Amino acid sequence: MKIIVAIKQVPERDARIRIDSAAKWIDLQDVEFMLNESDAYALEEALLLKEAHGGEVIVVSAGPERVGQTIREALAKGADRAIHIESPDEMALASYDALGVAKLLAAAIEDENADLILTGLQSDDLGLGQTGVIMAELLGLPHASLILKIEKTDKGIKVLRELEDGWFQHLELPTPALLTIQSGNTKLRYATLMGIKKAKTKEVRRVTVAELLSDEPAIKIGEPVVLLEKVMLPNKQRTTQILGGTPTEAAAALVEKLQFEVRAL
Amino acid sequence: MHLFNAIPSSALCASLASFVWIGVLAEPGRFSLIEKLLLVVLVAASAALFWKRFGVVLDKILKSRKEPAFRLFPLGRRVWDFFLEVLCQAKVIRERPLPGLAHAFVFWSFLAFALVTLNHMAVGLGIGFLDPAGAFGRLYFWFAGAFAVACAVSIAGLFVRRFFVRPIWLSRPAVPGHEVSYESGIIAGLIFLLMATYLASFWVSDGSVAARVLWWTHTLSLLVFLPLVPHTKHLHLILSPFTIFLSRGGFSQIPALVGDEDFGLVTGKDITQLVSLQVYSCVECGRCTEHCPAANTGKLLNPKEIVLGVRSYLNDLGPTAEELLLGKYNSQEAAFQCTTCGACEFQCPVGIEHLPIIVGLRRGAVNTGAWEDSHGTKLFLAMERNSNALGMSAIERDKFVQKQELPIFDGSQEYCLWLGCMGGYDPKGREIISSFVEVMRYLGTSYGVMRKEKCTGDPARRLGNDLVFQQLAESNLEAMGQQKVKKIISICPHCVRTIQEDWKEFGTPPEIEHHSEFLARHQAQLPHNNTGEKIVYHDPCYLGRYRNVYDEPRSVISAAGTLVEAERSRERSFCCGAGGGLAFLGEETGQRVSSVRAQELVATGATTIGAACPFCNTMFRDALAAGGDNSPRLLDIAQIAAMQLPKPAAKPTA
Repeated sequence: MKIIVAIKQVPERDARIRIDSAAKWIDLQDVEFMLNESDAYALEEALLLKEAHGGEVIVVSAGPERVGQTIREALAKGADRAIHIESPDEMALASYDALGVAKLLAAAIEDENADLILTGLQSDDLGLGQTGVIMAELLGLPHASLILKIEKTDKGIKVLRELEDGWFQHLELPTPALLTIQSGNTKLRYATLMGIKKAKTKEVRRVTVAELLSDEPAIKIGEPVVLLEKVMLPNKQRTTQILGGTPTEAAAALVEKLQFEVRAL
Repeated sequence: MHLFNAIPSSALCASLASFVWIGVLAEPGRFSLIEKLLLVVLVAASAALFWKRFGVVLDKILKSRKEPAFRLFPLGRRVWDFFLEVLCQAKVIRERPLPGLAHAFVFWSFLAFALVTLNHMAVGLGIGFLDPAGAFGRLYFWFAGAFAVACAVSIAGLFVRRFFVRPIWLSRPAVPGHEVSYESGIIAGLIFLLMATYLASFWVSDGSVAARVLWWTHTLSLLVFLPLVPHTKHLHLILSPFTIFLSRGGFSQIPALVGDEDFGLVTGKDITQLVSLQVYSCVECGRCTEHCPAANTGKLLNPKEIVLGVRSYLNDLGPTAEELLLGKYNSQEAAFQCTTCGACEFQCPVGIEHLPIIVGLRRGAVNTGAWEDSHGTKLFLAMERNSNALGMSAIERDKFVQKQELPIFDGSQEYCLWLGCMGGYDPKGREIISSFVEVMRYLGTSYGVMRKEKCTGDPARRLGNDLVFQQLAESNLEAMGQQKVKKIISICPHCVRTIQEDWKEFGTPPEIEHHSEFLARHQAQLPHNNTGEKIVYHDPCYLGRYRNVYDEPRSVISAAGTLVEAERSRERSFCCGAGGGLAFLGEETGQRVSSVRAQELVATGATTIGAACPFCNTMFRDALAAGGDNSPRLLDIAQIAAMQLPKPAAKPTA
């Protein structure tokens, strides 16, 4: 099976976030980057499928030079080769919306004619959850999202999809198809020294955003459909309410507050 | 001297009747040409048989991979170790006094007999050079005779110990047919015979048949002994002086990986010459296993068997084989039960360095992805993603730093206080930091904590994950260089060791000391309030055996109460069970190491257990909780020191 995994390098989850001066994004100084959480699970699924059925796993990622580190990590874990859509600086892709990025990724992998394309469910920084789905639409592929498990069948694949409230759904799809993968279902593997050393010899095909756009005039990245207007830290407030009355009355008032205001029940 | 003209047997009887104390070593009469030729042939045969096996062993050692970064110089330490451990038999005697002394006498006799043996052979060829009746001859042969008595008594005692007392450490229970070493019995017999024939020669007449019989018996014993040596653990006779001389030096010296193909000890091709030399020197004494916390609590791990497993691999497959080391000859499960406490390496009298071997085997499994362990993977991912072994968010550490109002290191302070993963994230570790900070505030010490810390990488290093370790070490070294960190104090012996020694592989680490060393240095300036309470001190492995720091923490404790020692203390301290990354792995098989040690500490009757490592602290806390309300309280030495400060902590004037 030829499997492509679209991965994103995101700021580390536990970083102390500061908003930058323009309030358009976070201050990237002193921020460390890592592989997006659900993309890591997507990669793991791909590697498991390769181990079971043979084939090739290719990772694709868009971003500035620093993305190379995450690509190498993916190669160290077992991906066979990579495509890096390189943007010239930090800000170049910042103005792209999900549609714009999906167009780039789709264009870069179209000619690969993969059997399966996997993306993470959503990114840790923007959390839009759209890129994979839009890619499927652009590539004309059937897709399913929130996938926990993939099985290869004679006719294609059978997947387990997470719904709300503890419900799940089984779906069967033909291949080629695109799936967005939910975190947490498998055990992730650790990158080994041997993997990193082997990664040095694996192919990383670099194509700049400009080259991609000029090679594929069909993808017209127009004005972004969605604009990020402002980024801010959530307002944390602490208010104290003393609930009076008899214990029975106070208990009833507490339950009401927990149910309708705090929505913890 | 003329021979008796009688048939040998009656002559022997006559000779036996003439066993009278003569006091001069009797030599046989002149040897005939046939006898001389026979002697030459027998010596040649013995030597050939010896070389037949020894040559093979030597070949395997020399064909092993060259030891990277091996420095023969400076010779000073090597010569000193040789003198102390080989010639003086220091460790042999100190760690197992009675059998050790017996062995020492056997060894010293070997040395004392050098000229005796040389002269003995020369006599056979008619060119004896030491006159037993001469002044030097008399003195020397008597001197050797004294050793012969000591040797004979010693070897008899050791024989009784091995075959009647049967201490379990000498056996190899896991290997069928090897419960008792019969070859040792044969060697013991030969040694006894050598001494007996020598001593008996003082009781027969010069030139007698008896003297001749004794001479030939002695000679044959020697010639049978020699080819047996390379087939048995008595190979150490030849190898161990070299093993001790050529050891890595230091303690638990993990060698750096070299080049892109080096992942540790994966297959035979990775075994180095030093490792080969060491495993072939093993005398199977079991001192390593005797002190191993894993072996003593029902685990599979047996340090002696790890070493002998590598030896069997070399015997069967050789140093260029491609079969995995962790497979038929050594168990992966056993290798990952090691807490890296170092008791094995510390005890070994022939210079085997177990820790580089065990960590090397682990490296081979982890660096190639062959080790599949859910806890291990979780640990490595936590270290990769969160840069700390506990997998917690750095924000938690920030909160602690702010709450304790710890000054941030900015290059102007004298010391950098390193919190570490335990000091930054673990509740007990944080208490230790808070107490130590109280002491430093009292003393007016200039210090700061780094804004951001990454794990030193100790668990990764001990488990053999060089990728994670390298990333953390390099990142930390860069940060410390940028922030001009010169001197570090840490509450954790693991951090101290890793920063001081293991980081050297990737750069030059700043100076670092353990807080017990700081406290000891400032004892005069700190207030003391000795309550006389019995406090038992537990030596952490990474502070005691690894760093040789035994007295400094004790000075802190002695100021606060009455110091009592556990049954196994100082260099024999019994591990708490957390090291080697094991604190982060799953539940152990057999008894919990921490329970065994906690019981030992409680048994001293002390009301307080003094610890100097946050990991020991955590392990004992859980073990003591099982003991109920009467358990002694558990305090770090920083807390013990802080307890004696006036409340609220006031700065001393001027």
